Amino acid sequence: MGLEYVRISPGFEKYMPKDYVDLVQYGQFGKEIDVQQLGQFKELVEEHPMCAGCFMAYFVRVFYASLPKPEDTIVIGTAGCARLALSQAAVPFIYGNYGDTNAVASGLKRALSIRFPDKEKDVVVIAGDGGLIDIGFGMTMHSWFRREKFTTIMVDNEVYGNTGGQESGMSPRGVQLKMAPKGKQFDKINAVELAKVAGCVYVAKLAPTNPKRIAKTVRRAILAARHFGPTFIHAYTSCNIEYSIPTEKVLEDARKREKQDFGFYEWMTDEVKEFFEELERKPEEVKA
Amino acid sequence: MYYVADVKESDCAKYNCKQCVLFCPEPNTLMYHDSKHVAWVNYSRCKGCAICVYVCSDLLKRNCIEMVMVTTGD
Ligand SMILES: Cc1ncc(C[n+]2csc(CCOP(=O)(O)OP(=O)(O)O)c2C)c(N)n1
Ligand code: SF4
Ligand code: SF4
Ligand code: SF4
Ligand SMILES: [Mg+2]
Repeated sequence: MGLEYVRISPGFEKYMPKDYVDLVQYGQFGKEIDVQQLGQFKELVEEHPMCAGCFMAYFVRVFYASLPKPEDTIVIGTAGCARLALSQAAVPFIYGNYGDTNAVASGLKRALSIRFPDKEKDVVVIAGDGGLIDIGFGMTMHSWFRREKFTTIMVDNEVYGNTGGQESGMSPRGVQLKMAPKGKQFDKINAVELAKVAGCVYVAKLAPTNPKRIAKTVRRAILAARHFGPTFIHAYTSCNIEYSIPTEKVLEDARKREKQDFGFYEWMTDEVKEFFEELERKPEEVKA
Repeated sequence: MYYVADVKESDCAKYNCKQCVLFCPEPNTLMYHDSKHVAWVNYSRCKGCAICVYVCSDLLKRNCIEMVMVTTGD
């Protein structure tokens, strides 16, 4: 896209839908938005059909508010719940066939760097645990082995939510689901360690209990992918339907899981660490 | 009829807070008024999950949001 595509041609404001005009006037394009300003600007993502109280939907909301450059970002999703909201945003969205997201993103990122050699174009895959670590496992791993420069975010609800409750490699051992009535027989896959071994330069794991931290993590993952190599975020995003969590307890559940097994974790290569130390140094220090 | 969150404006105005706004799963729904310093709900977008009530009542003990039934057109 780029900002010139976002702007409304003079004289056409009154013919454009109100939500679009609001987006251009009070939205994120061309501005540095702080996630703490949520509720005070027009968000990129619009109404969508994800369930009431869904924390995957919450993560998607905060994700869009965290983009460093929405006008130069392309989001790739696939079958699974997240795309229901991902596709309802003013950011180009590509639907990769189930399991193929990281292959599609690899080609897209390479094509963008050939077509726009002097521009920064960010590519982000957001897909479920089933899409990335079960059915898309090979594509995911190989994009990391090849050191493709884009971000992969796994929205892990520990189940195939969109198809009614099959177990995934990310479901915890012992958990009983509608279509896993005997309880899962194997351990939850350690996706973060796999990402490190496979060549990611920045890896993080979190539960969505702190919007500021989500924003910082998303931003870092995108910037590190822009300059260095593949990056990965493993986010716990509960499915209140398949795990029967009353909606008003969804945040309480995320806080509980954060204490149990989703404590914030961040790892990066020395090169990336140096980059962020330089970039995030307080402006006064940089001037001095 | 459907179930939505409703902010008790005069109670919320005491706090200069905004925490519930940062945890609503829905975009452009639970908003914050810049000059009045109160949260407010765009009823037609609210899905009635009550996560905002958990934030305001259970976590912060401020009790400024309640869930109410509204009829279309309210
Ligand atoms: C190639 C292919 N196989 C299977 C499906 C059916 N399908 C749709 S969503 C889904 C599972 C989604 O689980 P996950 O990726 O964890 O996402 P969630 O819905 O839990 O967010 C499956 C198997 C499909 N759409 N395409
Ligand atoms: S099925 Fe689960 S993950 Fe999917 S939208 Fe509903 S609550 Fe969210
Ligand atoms: S959490 Fe309660 S006090 Fe704080 S802004 Fe929301 S309604 Fe107001
Ligand atoms: S009930 Fe849920 S959707 Fe409605 S304003 Fe509160 S947090 Fe948002
Ligand atoms: Mg899933």
